[in-house]
Amino acid sequence: MKSSDAVPYPALSQRLYSVWYRHVRVYTKNLVSNGLPPFLEPLLFLLGVGLGLGKYITQSMEGLNYIEFLGTGLLATTAMFTSAYECTFGTFIRLEFEKVYDGMLAAPITVNDLIVGEIIWAGTKGVFFTFAVLCVLTAFRIVRLPEGLLTPLVGFITGVMFATLSLWVTSFVKTIQHFNFYFTGFISPMFFFSGVVFPISNLPPSVRFIAELLPLTHCVRLARAVCIGRYPPSLLLSLAYAVVFTVIVGWLAIRRLRRRLVR
Amino acid sequence: MRVIRVHNVSKSFAKLCAVNDLSFEVEEGTCFGLLGPNGAGKTTMMKMIYGRSSRDNHNGGGIDVLGYDPARDELAIKYLSGVVPQENNLDDELNVIQNLLIYSKFYGLPGKVAKERIKGLLEFLELLEKIQSPIRELSGGMQRRLVIARALLNHPKLLILDEPTTGLDPQVRHVIWDKIRQLRAQGTTILLTTHYMEEAFQICDMVLIMDKGKQVLEDNPQRLLRENIETYVLEVPIANGTPALCESDPPDGVRLDRTDATMRFYAQGIDPLKSVADKLAGNPYYLRQTTLEDVFLKATGRALNEKQ
Repeated sequence: MKSSDAVPYPALSQRLYSVWYRHVRVYTKNLVSNGLPPFLEPLLFLLGVGLGLGKYITQSMEGLNYIEFLGTGLLATTAMFTSAYECTFGTFIRLEFEKVYDGMLAAPITVNDLIVGEIIWAGTKGVFFTFAVLCVLTAFRIVRLPEGLLTPLVGFITGVMFATLSLWVTSFVKTIQHFNFYFTGFISPMFFFSGVVFPISNLPPSVRFIAELLPLTHCVRLARAVCIGRYPPSLLLSLAYAVVFTVIVGWLAIRRLRRRLVR
Repeated sequence: MRVIRVHNVSKSFAKLCAVNDLSFEVEEGTCFGLLGPNGAGKTTMMKMIYGRSSRDNHNGGGIDVLGYDPARDELAIKYLSGVVPQENNLDDELNVIQNLLIYSKFYGLPGKVAKERIKGLLEFLELLEKIQSPIRELSGGMQRRLVIARALLNHPKLLILDEPTTGLDPQVRHVIWDKIRQLRAQGTTILLTTHYMEEAFQICDMVLIMDKGKQVLEDNPQRLLRENIETYVLEVPIANGTPALCESDPPDGVRLDRTDATMRFYAQGIDPLKSVADKLAGNPYYLRQTTLEDVFLKATGRALNEKQ
């Protein structure tokens, strides 16, 4: 047996880049239909809340007025939703319907490269979607610059976390309808119980305990801290949660998807 | 030099044994065909060669591709090979050149080199005027050729094709055969699966017929034909009024193979079959030379398996 060093196949960074590049090219092909909604959605949401609901909510939440509280939360949820869709429906379609992975895995990349590239791509989408919300929030003077400029980084972290979770879920799914359980059973409820719409600090202790376990809670905390430029030491816990969650769930996702891709 | 060496390889999924103790070798610059009905294990065998499927390791079998073991060095093997999967998995959102540029990144080709190479490959596969066309506008035959161009991006030493011409019209099929012959003439080693006997006969130097994961026959196609079946066959469809030829024993040197709808008489010479045909009293018949398909059906049986 020869040593594989003799063959100049691309290094890990190039392999991950090529997976990421494939997704970027396909996504940016329909720039208008893919690129406009991330800006329109928060715009409509904030208009609805600002003109309607916000007038009835006068109490401040965690020291922010309501539109600031909700707006800073949306910076994280938008990254969650785009990443979750990308790594459930998107991944499943590439896996089962379009057979895109069959082609990619014939090129010199490994299954691990493919999945990690997918996760980095979902993080990139998180950056872009958070950036879109940031533009809207800045235009309405809800978030100030330069503090807000760090939020796309939180978008990346959020995108990566939900990519690992969604890929792990995808590894179990046999038909595309099964994703409804994930979205209505987990992703949507999380929107309400992770301190996006109202603070979790006044919830009954048992519910609060559960809320503290949810990944989105920590993403929202990071986003808000960055926006207001206040970094309490407890924020390190949220950061640690993000790292540990990504490593453990990412490992589970890779392990299970690998069995599905290399049989 | 041997490009592929497979010895005693098996692969089972849950209860199914897809590949059962298979061994074969592929010489450099030759075209090797894996033949068999659907479910015979051809694709599984092929996937094990480029590391997309893992072989069973309890029985000491091994695979060596260009000096590397796919279980350990899949990247080296994939870098040196090109793979045309069974389904055309092109990116519909992109056009022809964009599809190829994306794949050039996987091989780390610099942009300028990639563009030149792509032009050359599109020219070779007669697709150059389609370079800016969206995938949706390509016919099935063009898409297939584009997938072949994609597999050739890194000038592979080994080209692996999984059913390269299934579902294509005769013109396209002949063009693809010509391209495969040209590549072989340039020294590329080719491994393909097919269930078209004609294809195997036209382009393969060696053919391995497999069924239910096992090797049934392996030889050069001409020799397979010569040594495993008579030269001529007389096919007689059974209808009302077809004389009961089959009731009596066929003449010496004639072998009868009967299904519910057809009688087939095989013989080395054409004369005994002509005399059988004379007794048909004007009923339709078809007298022809045997082909690899007859060998194949003789070897793997006419009945359908559960995967067909």
